[in-house]
Amino acid sequence: MHQQALCSALEILINKTLLLNEGGTGDLTRLSQQTLTIILQELGYPISFSVDTSSGNNQILVTTLTQRSDCTIKTSIKTLIQLQKEKKLTELIKQDKLDIDGDIKTAQGFAHLAESIEIDWQSEIAKHIGDVATYKLSKFTDKLRSKLVFAAKQITADSSEWLVHEKRLVVTSSQIKLFSSQVDELSCQASGLEQRIEQLTNLMSDTAQAYTTTNSTTSNTTSTTTSTTTKN
Amino acid sequence: MSGQDQNPQKNGSEKTTHFGYKTVEKTDKASMVASVFHSVAQQYDVMNDLMSFGIHRLWKRFTIDASGVRPGNKVLDLAGGTGDLTAKFSKLVGREGKVVLADINSSMLNVGRDKLRDKGLVQNIEYVQANAESLPFEENTFDIVTIAFGLRNVTDKDKALRSIYSVLKPGGRLLVLEFSKPEHEFVNKAYDFYSFNILPKIGQIVAKDGDSYQYLAESIRMHPDQETLKSMMENAGFDQTSYKNLTGGVVALHKGYKF
Repeated sequence: MHQQALCSALEILINKTLLLNEGGTGDLTRLSQQTLTIILQELGYPISFSVDTSSGNNQILVTTLTQRSDCTIKTSIKTLIQLQKEKKLTELIKQDKLDIDGDIKTAQGFAHLAESIEIDWQSEIAKHIGDVATYKLSKFTDKLRSKLVFAAKQITADSSEWLVHEKRLVVTSSQIKLFSSQVDELSCQASGLEQRIEQLTNLMSDTAQAYTTTNSTTSNTTSTTTSTTTKN
Repeated sequence: MSGQDQNPQKNGSEKTTHFGYKTVEKTDKASMVASVFHSVAQQYDVMNDLMSFGIHRLWKRFTIDASGVRPGNKVLDLAGGTGDLTAKFSKLVGREGKVVLADINSSMLNVGRDKLRDKGLVQNIEYVQANAESLPFEENTFDIVTIAFGLRNVTDKDKALRSIYSVLKPGGRLLVLEFSKPEHEFVNKAYDFYSFNILPKIGQIVAKDGDSYQYLAESIRMHPDQETLKSMMENAGFDQTSYKNLTGGVVALHKGYKF
């Protein structure tokens, strides 16, 4: 039932927005009784937007019904964003990222409706919190917006600079691979050397032990001989 | 001696029916149900929102989406009460279509009519006080018949289903949205607790009528489960019958076609 929950939320949101529109809901009469269906890959089910002007309260109905669709668009959210930014409709259709079935004028009508929405937020907010508070809020948001825009510009400029100047110094993947193989080689050599040192240490300790044993035997033999001679 | 006299026990069960957990004469049930709905009509929408936490709106949306309604269709919203489905259907069938809001209860019908007129919905809606068991329409009249949360209050459900079948056009479909049996035992127990302990209290506070909401809870338990209702629809002549459980089976949407 999440489909119905989404449709319900969209319907409320769209109709509230249309009510706040400075041009009112008059533009809807041009799309009267028309339905645009959008099938998004991410959702996997259709969402239909039907314009109802019969009751005098012009509004958009959002359902999952496809039976009354005048135009059906199959696409993805990514493509829609791309379309909004670059306006490359033909290219996207050629690339099979956008499939339009039906009367394209219906889609254009809905797109025009969305673009024509203008809301005087200050007047709307002032109705709830008063003029002075709205003025202060708008000043604050303007300041915040300009700071954010400046920060975004700064970040973009810094990153471009960094890319231009620092990119040369950035270690490439082949260099990292070469370095890694050299480190591996060095590590092998070091372990070989370690083994050799260990062998030599062992040899030295064996030699030292043998020398000590020999010395001790010789010393014992000498003391025995001396004792025998004294007795005699 | 008539067959009825030879089998008094059977005769007795044929003459009686359920009113919640009570067994009453069939002839009395309609008036008893009527008194319940006369009592709750004014607070019906508020109570629906409170009792279902607003989910009934999604159940009704689901029904509309499943109906496949087109502009120009003729729709019968049976036991339509305060006209939630009618309002939506009216917009979807357009000027060429028609929606008939029918209810046996005059109080519910009046509340529905006032509500829809206040919304400016007047062009394509007709209001008829009718009993679902004997619908006052010609055969093959409607493309879609819906009955939302109404069938369980009907005395003879089989007769009502046959009556609906006759007024549907060939290719037409019936959608029955009704409380049903939850799929999981845990949900069933929680639902039972809510229905018998909390719901009548809400009814008492908001609608000043706890008894009516006690009846509501009892009538839900006495209503046929998903499979039984499906076979009842098949017995009435419907084809391609199916049902979809909503909110874990608390509510089910049954659908059947007339070919």
